[in-house]
Amino acid sequence: MDLVRDVLDKQLVDREGEEMGRVDGVILEIRPDGPPRIEAFELGFVVLARRIHPRVESWLNWLRARWSVRKTARYRIPWAKVQEIREGEIQVDLRAQETPAYDWEIWLRRNVIRHLPGGGE
Amino acid sequence: MKKWMQLALGILTGVGGFFDIGNLATSAQAGASFRFQLLWSLLLATVFVIFLVEMSGRFAAVSGKALPDAIRERFGFTFWAGPFLILTIIHVLVLGAEIGGICFALHLVSGLPVPLLAPVVGILVWLLLWRTTFSTLENSTSFLGFLTLAFVIAVVVHHPPLREIGAGMVPSLPHHDPAKYWYIAVSIVGAVLAPYLFYFYSSGAVEDKWDCKYIGVNRGISFIGMGFGSLIAMAAIVVAAVVLAPRGIQVDDYHQAALMLTDAFPFWGFVLFAVAMGIACLGAAVEVGLSMAYATAQTFGWNWGEDLEPREDARFCLVYTVAILISSLIILFGVDPFKLTLLTMVISAAALPFVAIPFLLLMNDRKTLGEHTNGWISNTVTVLVVILSGVLALVSIPLTLIGGS
Repeated sequence: MDLVRDVLDKQLVDREGEEMGRVDGVILEIRPDGPPRIEAFELGFVVLARRIHPRVESWLNWLRARWSVRKTARYRIPWAKVQEIREGEIQVDLRAQETPAYDWEIWLRRNVIRHLPGGGE
Repeated sequence: MKKWMQLALGILTGVGGFFDIGNLATSAQAGASFRFQLLWSLLLATVFVIFLVEMSGRFAAVSGKALPDAIRERFGFTFWAGPFLILTIIHVLVLGAEIGGICFALHLVSGLPVPLLAPVVGILVWLLLWRTTFSTLENSTSFLGFLTLAFVIAVVVHHPPLREIGAGMVPSLPHHDPAKYWYIAVSIVGAVLAPYLFYFYSSGAVEDKWDCKYIGVNRGISFIGMGFGSLIAMAAIVVAAVVLAPRGIQVDDYHQAALMLTDAFPFWGFVLFAVAMGIACLGAAVEVGLSMAYATAQTFGWNWGEDLEPREDARFCLVYTVAILISSLIILFGVDPFKLTLLTMVISAAALPFVAIPFLLLMNDRKTLGEHTNGWISNTVTVLVVILSGVLALVSIPLTLIGGS
């Protein structure tokens, strides 16, 4: 398996097949007695910003300090939760709605969409 | 049978989606200033768009993935972030031009000032996206898109000189205003090869759950649908050449373009132009808005789909809501829709490399497409588009400065 080709930037789906973001970053564990191992996937705009430039990251952090909706800027999905790596998507044993990956979605539903005509139940 | 229904719908989508504000503005300008001489650039762009649309549909049918999704996955976020940001800005401007076009069409029939109509039109476009499903949109906007056939009927009424039309299909050097000539040629290519078209079409194929069985249908849709749309744009050039050019009318505003159909349809021409323009722009506005939401949701891996209720994909809906809001504000603050249209066509042409280059790599990816990768003809055309897009990126901005005024 090729880390960058087969894992990074891939679509993540939860156990019901709901889209829950992409693999924005990968955390590796460097072991003294063997090759590095994937410890977790990282999700979040801050993770993406860092890949562009550290300055973009610090700028985003500044924004986040004022208006964040998400409880954690970086959401980590441990490798143990990975169910299956398929062509085009990675399935994890979680429920998207219960994870920080859905914080923005749920906040928007409650605070914006619901107040627009036809956006309620 | 169901697949053939898709073909019919797809052709309708082509009619509704191809001919928009950009084609109207550039066709009117080309015909009024250079008669039939710029038909070749439309023909060339049509050949390119047929191939690129076919590729984006084939990719979606085989892989089950739309283009923005595949580009982020294959090329990574660091490659895609820049183009994605630039295309998003372009699409907000294009959406502004389309909304401005609808406002202008309403202005023609109501006499109300264009900026004042922007809030009403913005809400109308938003409601269409907010309340309806994908297939309803596909059917309604494209069915009404048939009204743009008025341009083709006008051509028949006018009996234009066929030999001159034929001669216009072959590239030739201009006799006057070379900078303006090349500037319009570039704008025509930018108007036809609109980036949103490919993101919309491939996402639509995913929404309609296409698989490998649709490859033939997809080929038919691309060829007939885009060809038909191009026919209307060509008809608009011919009508502008016959009606506007002999009177020395130069098009630098939609008011002049609105005279195009008055010779062929003495009483109804004006209204017919307004209706055709309004419908064409409405169809395109819906497509641009959706395309932005598709591209953003796929780039970040959010849940998406026009058939979901707004509360089921809040972030997806927020994207088009904000886009429509900003675009309507641009028109409300008094930006001239015609100037905005021409500006966006040139910027679209300049951004074409971002759209074209991913095709070359994605369409030759054996791991994803298996036996359905590009053949040598498609690859040759893609390489030509990439080369052309590079040239356009270099010349479009300088040309605007010399030939655009």
